[in-house]
Amino acid sequence: MAEDKTGDDLLRVRGLRIGFGAGPTIVEGVDLTLAPGRLVCLVGESGSGKSLTALSLMRLLPSHAKIEAQQMRFEERDLLSLSETEMEGLRGDRIAMIFQEPMTSLNPVMTVGDQIAEALVTHRGSSRSEARDAALAMLERVQIPAAKERMRAYPHELSGGMRQRVMIAMALVCRPALLVADEPTTALDVTIQNQILTLIDELRSEIGAAVLFITHNLAVVAEIADEIAVMYAGRIVERGSRAAIFDDPLHPYTLALFAALPRRGDAGRKLACIDGQVPAPSAMPQGCRFAPRCPFAIEHCRQETPPLAALRPGHDVACWRAPIEEHMA
Amino acid sequence: MSVPLLVVENLTKTYASKSGLFRKSREARVVDDVSFILGRGEVFGLVGESGSGKSTIGRLVLRLIEADVGRIVFDGQDVRALDAGSLRKLRRRMQIIFQDPFSSLDPRMRVGEALAEPIRLHRLRESAAVGTRVEELLRLVGLGPEAMGRYPHEFSGGQRQRIAIARALAVEPDLIVCDEPVSALDLSIQAQVVNLLADLRAQLGVSYLFISHDMAVVRHLATSVGVLYSGRIVESGPAERIFADPRHPYTRMLLEASPIPVPREMSARKPMLGEPPSPYQTLPGCRFASRCPHAVDPCRASPPLLSAFDDGGRQAACIRAAELPPVALASDDESLMSEAYRRRLALLREARAGRVS
Repeated sequence: MAEDKTGDDLLRVRGLRIGFGAGPTIVEGVDLTLAPGRLVCLVGESGSGKSLTALSLMRLLPSHAKIEAQQMRFEERDLLSLSETEMEGLRGDRIAMIFQEPMTSLNPVMTVGDQIAEALVTHRGSSRSEARDAALAMLERVQIPAAKERMRAYPHELSGGMRQRVMIAMALVCRPALLVADEPTTALDVTIQNQILTLIDELRSEIGAAVLFITHNLAVVAEIADEIAVMYAGRIVERGSRAAIFDDPLHPYTLALFAALPRRGDAGRKLACIDGQVPAPSAMPQGCRFAPRCPFAIEHCRQETPPLAALRPGHDVACWRAPIEEHMA
Repeated sequence: MSVPLLVVENLTKTYASKSGLFRKSREARVVDDVSFILGRGEVFGLVGESGSGKSTIGRLVLRLIEADVGRIVFDGQDVRALDAGSLRKLRRRMQIIFQDPFSSLDPRMRVGEALAEPIRLHRLRESAAVGTRVEELLRLVGLGPEAMGRYPHEFSGGQRQRIAIARALAVEPDLIVCDEPVSALDLSIQAQVVNLLADLRAQLGVSYLFISHDMAVVRHLATSVGVLYSGRIVESGPAERIFADPRHPYTRMLLEASPIPVPREMSARKPMLGEPPSPYQTLPGCRFASRCPHAVDPCRASPPLLSAFDDGGRQAACIRAAELPPVALASDDESLMSEAYRRRLALLREARAGRVS
């Protein structure tokens, strides 16, 4: 991930900055690379900018949002210079998105079957009957029981888990190259979450789609990620393969997140908390943004922003003090 | 032995719904014959998925909604038999906090006033001492006295949850019903609130009825656990036994489905079948049978009773509970993580301890 690979990358974002109006920059200098078929988890807490980053790729931010990037390329297209019409042609076809709350993307007064079929009619010029056949096949694929009858159902007649499946069917029916999934299982019960994660994993290999999966849940990340990018206060602070992040975590914020997890054998023991709070966008500290909460911070951390650099092959971290054991001796 | 703080027996709640203008009304049994005991200073974790009835039980216990059938005995008093006046008095000793702290805080009331109000209402302090008590409460939940002059919206989600906890503590309750108190919080804030609840229990001896769908948090806090499925307790007993050797197939499914922060191959995960039945659906047998990998014909014929099957205080509503082989659950123990992970986490904990002291 660290090297500047070119060629077969599906999505390449360099130096993404997002702000609103004259306000402060909220996302600052985010780089993302996605190869076909890979699942990248963007991890962070509220206010980290992970959802803004995802929405900016879809160009779904409100009009007063300022999005800048040195590069924002998807399949040879420059996402920032596409017209709104061209972008509409891309959304739901080559790039699809699913959300935490399926009702935000489902039309309440349209049957499930028509909604899924509509994407094919719009983007692929399929006939009504072709589109309906494909919609039914997709509903069966996402394991909706009695799919034929459910084609005529309205979203409110379905359970939360079923709605999530319908939304996935709708997102994937055009076989997108990129699926952006923003906390798609956060509101679901664990048994249903398990089913949906399995489904997303199976479908991305069937379709060969890359997935950008946004979540704050490290247990979910451990289950599905190929690669992980950890965000804090608008910046990526660490990124690498799943094994790199879980076996060799380097950034103190990543460590702090791990330390806050209740694990077996912890009952009765205090969980490690992070002192203080995420800084407000208008009051970002100088230097490393995590420094005010970092127990390892030294003066240098508060003066100068650490670059996101490869400390190991394919494993980048933005910390002057990593790996910490080498600086503590 | 002293009487337990809370005894709940055969609690049942049914909602009737008219599904259409000319259709027959239907009955949904959302809580069905639920019994459990919460000891003093203990934490009873009520776990289950959405629609299992766990939040309804919390509200029934406080009589925020009325049960159809059943007994609720709080510190020897039959809660359902109390008149309005006695119930009001008892309510001081039973509090509730919610997932969304906004629902228990008046947005137009400054935090200091929100905490002082219940103290004055119940005449728990001389008026001159109320201010000191409010400061003490804020300190207890890790907030400074400057919080008194501010409004709830000026605080972050985690701080608001602390304020809601402080308000619940203001009346010096014996029991706090915690309804998903950490579910909406970020991981690092969740850890703070979990620690706070554990500290308050140790310092003040408060008991919790802790309602959650997060198995890891319940395992961390609860002393005993009741697992709800479709309105019924399907397994209950001491927390460590339930997490170490779950006996009911649904408890097993919940634990197997809960993701753990340890990388595994997707193929190592077990498929989870189906969804819970609708509460309107009446079934002759076990309500979990349609999703159960161990179901046999008798399971579908008559409902299994919650019954004791060992001498460790454990109960399960499953005719096969005693005979099922132990289940191999993937562990998320820190000792399984890499050496680098453990070494750096140890350094972090040391550094934090050094900084705090």
